[in-house]
Amino acid sequence: MNNFQWIWQYVVKNRYKLIIAMIFFLISTALILVNPYVMGQIVDRVIDGHEDSLLVPLLLVMIGVTVARTITRYIYQILFEQTGQNSLFDLRMDMYDKLHELDFDFFNHNRVGDIMTRMTGDTDAIRHFISWVSYQVLECVFYFIVSILIMLTISWQLTLALVAVTPIIFWLTQAMAKAQHPMFFAIRQSFSRLNSMVEENISGNRIVKAFVREDFEISKFNEHNDDYKQRNLAAANVSKTYLPWQDGIANSLNVIALIFGGYLVIQNKMTLGDLVVFNGYLWMLNQPMRMSGWLINDIERFSASCVKIRQMLATKPEIEVETTEEPLRIKGDVTFKNVTFHFQDDPEHNILTDVSFSAKAGQTIGIIGETGSGKTTLINLISRFYDPSSGQVLIDGQDVRQYPIRQLRDNISMVMQDVFLFSNSITENISFGRPNLDTGYIQSVARVADADGFIERMPEGYETIVGERGVGLSGGQKQRISLARALAKDPAILMLDDTTSAVDMETETKIQHELAGLTTKKTTFIIANRISSVRDADLILLLEKGRIVEAGKHEVLMQQQGRYYDVFQKQLGLEKGEQIGQTK
Amino acid sequence: MVKRNKSNVDEAQVEQFNWHGYVRLAQYIKPYLKKIYIILSVIVLANIAGMLGPYFTKVVIDEVIPNRNISQLLLIGGLYTISLFLMGWCIRYRIYHITEVGQDMLKDMRLDIFQHLQKLSFSYFDNRPHGKILIRVVNYINTLSDLLSDGLVNLISDVFNVLITLVFMFAINSRLTWYSLSLIPILVILVLYVQKRQRKAYQILSNKQSNLNAYIHESITGIKVTQSFAREDENFRIFNAINTENSQSWMHAVKIQFLLWPGVQNIAVITTCLIYFVGIRQIGVNVSTGTLIAFIGYINNFWNPVINIGNFYNSLITATAYLERIFETLDEPVEIEDAPDAQELPAIVGDVFFNNVTFRYEPGKDILKKVNFKVQAGQSIALVGPTGAGKTTVINLLSRFYDVNEGAVLIDGHDVRDVTLASLRRQMGVMLQDSFIFSGTILDNIRYGKLDATEAEIVAAAQVVHADDFIRHLKDGYQTQVEERGNTLSAGQRQLIAFARVLLADPKILILDEATSSIDTETEELLQAGLHALLKNRTSFIVAHRLSTIKNSDQIFYVNGGQIAEHGNHQELMQTRGQYYHLYQSQYAMLKID
Repeated sequence: MNNFQWIWQYVVKNRYKLIIAMIFFLISTALILVNPYVMGQIVDRVIDGHEDSLLVPLLLVMIGVTVARTITRYIYQILFEQTGQNSLFDLRMDMYDKLHELDFDFFNHNRVGDIMTRMTGDTDAIRHFISWVSYQVLECVFYFIVSILIMLTISWQLTLALVAVTPIIFWLTQAMAKAQHPMFFAIRQSFSRLNSMVEENISGNRIVKAFVREDFEISKFNEHNDDYKQRNLAAANVSKTYLPWQDGIANSLNVIALIFGGYLVIQNKMTLGDLVVFNGYLWMLNQPMRMSGWLINDIERFSASCVKIRQMLATKPEIEVETTEEPLRIKGDVTFKNVTFHFQDDPEHNILTDVSFSAKAGQTIGIIGETGSGKTTLINLISRFYDPSSGQVLIDGQDVRQYPIRQLRDNISMVMQDVFLFSNSITENISFGRPNLDTGYIQSVARVADADGFIERMPEGYETIVGERGVGLSGGQKQRISLARALAKDPAILMLDDTTSAVDMETETKIQHELAGLTTKKTTFIIANRISSVRDADLILLLEKGRIVEAGKHEVLMQQQGRYYDVFQKQLGLEKGEQIGQTK
Repeated sequence: MVKRNKSNVDEAQVEQFNWHGYVRLAQYIKPYLKKIYIILSVIVLANIAGMLGPYFTKVVIDEVIPNRNISQLLLIGGLYTISLFLMGWCIRYRIYHITEVGQDMLKDMRLDIFQHLQKLSFSYFDNRPHGKILIRVVNYINTLSDLLSDGLVNLISDVFNVLITLVFMFAINSRLTWYSLSLIPILVILVLYVQKRQRKAYQILSNKQSNLNAYIHESITGIKVTQSFAREDENFRIFNAINTENSQSWMHAVKIQFLLWPGVQNIAVITTCLIYFVGIRQIGVNVSTGTLIAFIGYINNFWNPVINIGNFYNSLITATAYLERIFETLDEPVEIEDAPDAQELPAIVGDVFFNNVTFRYEPGKDILKKVNFKVQAGQSIALVGPTGAGKTTVINLLSRFYDVNEGAVLIDGHDVRDVTLASLRRQMGVMLQDSFIFSGTILDNIRYGKLDATEAEIVAAAQVVHADDFIRHLKDGYQTQVEERGNTLSAGQRQLIAFARVLLADPKILILDEATSSIDTETEELLQAGLHALLKNRTSFIVAHRLSTIKNSDQIFYVNGGQIAEHGNHQELMQTRGQYYHLYQSQYAMLKID
């Protein structure tokens, strides 16, 4: 499927608009031919022929034709714009839809700025193609055909002589399209890099300032800024090579018409009057030839944008999203059966190896282990952000892969390590998973997360808008709001990934008590570095390099005097400050 | 404090575009005037070459054909061809150089806005979705591209053409010329009518585009949360609304914008008809047929550039909506900047003195009230206290991310406001809560702390903070590519990288804001030793919740209610049995086995 066929799928929904637009287009374009004729009549019949009474009607015809022509043109322009906007709307919706279907893998490998470019700059190039380039091309084709038909009736020899030149134009146009293709793709890519660079600079503004790297950032920006300019100039260079020739050949039609036409007249094969009339229609043949080069640039820009959009739309997520309407309510039993996981692009390196355990609904599972030992990956497998490479994850005895993914996730709440809050009010952030919750409920979950107090103290309380990603709040505050957000969903399975790392222990204990006291029991996974966070769990898993090395309740693990015991002693020691090298 | 903006709310328009805006725009054109003059002369040359065509045609029809002179015909053919080559060269020159000038201006403008952005304080970035800032630097500026290249040059040549044609018209017949200008007032009214509405429409549109950009941006960055909360349908609903608003305001804008062309076109034709009428009926004028026909020819020459100028004006109004936003950003006041007579801060030892410091984000709500403390170089200070008590504010004032409202912050006796920001911050290492990772290699990310660091230095820094081990286990070691924010790394890993980055910067004053919260025990234990080495000979401020980190500090500040409620070392504070004692007891109790 080429780009035109592809975009046609979006445009075709507007076919009735297009048909009407085409009718108006034909009327409007045909009317262009009328006024020159009327003006000829004024000269011939009114001025030379002295048919004075014809003057006013002829002038009225001229005005009437112009009014009609401009109105019809206005209508078809608007209709083309409308078609462009409607197609753009659908395209954006499709892309937005796709965005939510794609899995972590895609986002780990594509920069935010690049995805942004696809959804803004690229879609705009497509809009421009549909609402402007399309009818410009039509106009060219129309002029070309009509002018040739008219000219043929005047002098077929002269017309053939002119038409003989057109293959050169076609050839030039094609050569130019081929040369411009990589140029416009390069412009598009450069734009995307520029966009990504600025996007990162804005997101990382705190780090830039903290390290006084403004100059470094500016020089980095300069490179991208200049590169973008250079890519545009490279395309201008190609235009510079081809466009003057296209223009020149279009103009050469005038020379041919004049010289060959003059020759024909001298040879008495044509009248002088015919030559003058013939010359009058030449612009209609010139125009499309001159335009062709410029249109090629627009079309190549369109193609460059299509590539990236189509690529994104064609990306198949590893984990397919299928939707069903039936609501799903799970109980919360979770079982891992010999689960092994590695990333697809790194099969040598297992993130999880042969992990097996089982949790009953309502139980609390604590997971501890070193940085990079696979804790987060383990819980990601439960909500199917990844699927196991081998083995099975079962929820309520059924393989998670058999659940419709969105319904499954609707039953699971995950509080991620990286707290992401939206630039929206706190109320809307907490009710993120369940829009339009009532205020009382929101406050009650905030209380469980021990967030109610500080939220109330804010100038606008629950209506305070937090900055992007929750800047302006402390780490602990963000974590507590994100916990409230997870609780507001009332999930069957709750996963807390290092959720209380930035809150003090007192608050943590308070939160744990509140969680334990919740009326509906949730299967809870707690990932933590501090033993205090997991010691009350029904099952504690100690992960090391992707394997469960110890599992059991706190007391049991303590008795074993193994790795868990070591960690505990170390933490106690760290807290007491008895570590060697620490005492002053 | 201005209320923060969110993605589906239009931003308030602060600045209205006026003549001053055009003057400002002209500043960007100024450096390229010489190039523009050359391009204009090339265009004039092309126009002259273009006029040869009709002349040759006239000669052939009037003389060559009646005389049946074939050799003269061929000669003219040759001359005509030569004129075409000349025109071709002009076009060639124009295409490239217009693009160059236009791109240069865009580049300058983009650089200005980016540079300004680097000077703006946190609050600018915190108060609006980032997608709305992004669109100004990149997309809005791109919309000016046509205006500043072809648009500008064509405008000048069109104005020139109109004036020349008017001179010819007056020379032929001034009466007729006045007739043909009689409808200009209607044109002006039309332009004013369209202008007002079009401008409003494009202001709305630019807001909607900004909202759309912001929502897309946040949807991408927050995609994991959205997916894990299965909240896709709600997002689709919101996006659908924003998308619809965007389409509708676009249509509204073009419906107005497209009115101008039909208006000008009709006025032009009516004027032509008027000239025919008065010319033929000899109403108030007395002209020969030849003159009339020649005059009609000039009228077309007059209206074509006028239509072009109209189109230019149209796109200028469109651009105004974007220019307003661009200039608004450029005018955003820089809250924290170097004093006019700021000195370089000499190499410091690291004494810190808070002298009666009061700070507030908004009037009437003091975050810090008359805070006084002195820290000697080399000491480590732990800041503890309840959330929102002002710990982070102390740190932000120290590195001058905000300025005090009363009192002064002194480093080695220098008021931080009297020295240059760069020299101050260069000697400070700040490790923030959010360990931001740039896309690029791990090596580059650590190198951010010291741009000219060798690989060996980088590895050494990573070893001190015990990041070396996990980095070597990554697929490509230090050359492993990470994406923005380091999605593929765990939070603990990112903190270690951020740690190495700060260490590499080798600051005299080190600020750690909840910097080790996500690091596991094993690593923390190792890190403690490294940290100990790291803190040596540096003044350090640490906001932390872990008792281990707190206890080992030289001084502990218990911050509460905007003041340092208690201070002293661990033993001293334990003896006072105050708020710190209570905090310590309750936390320690939780650790012990029942």
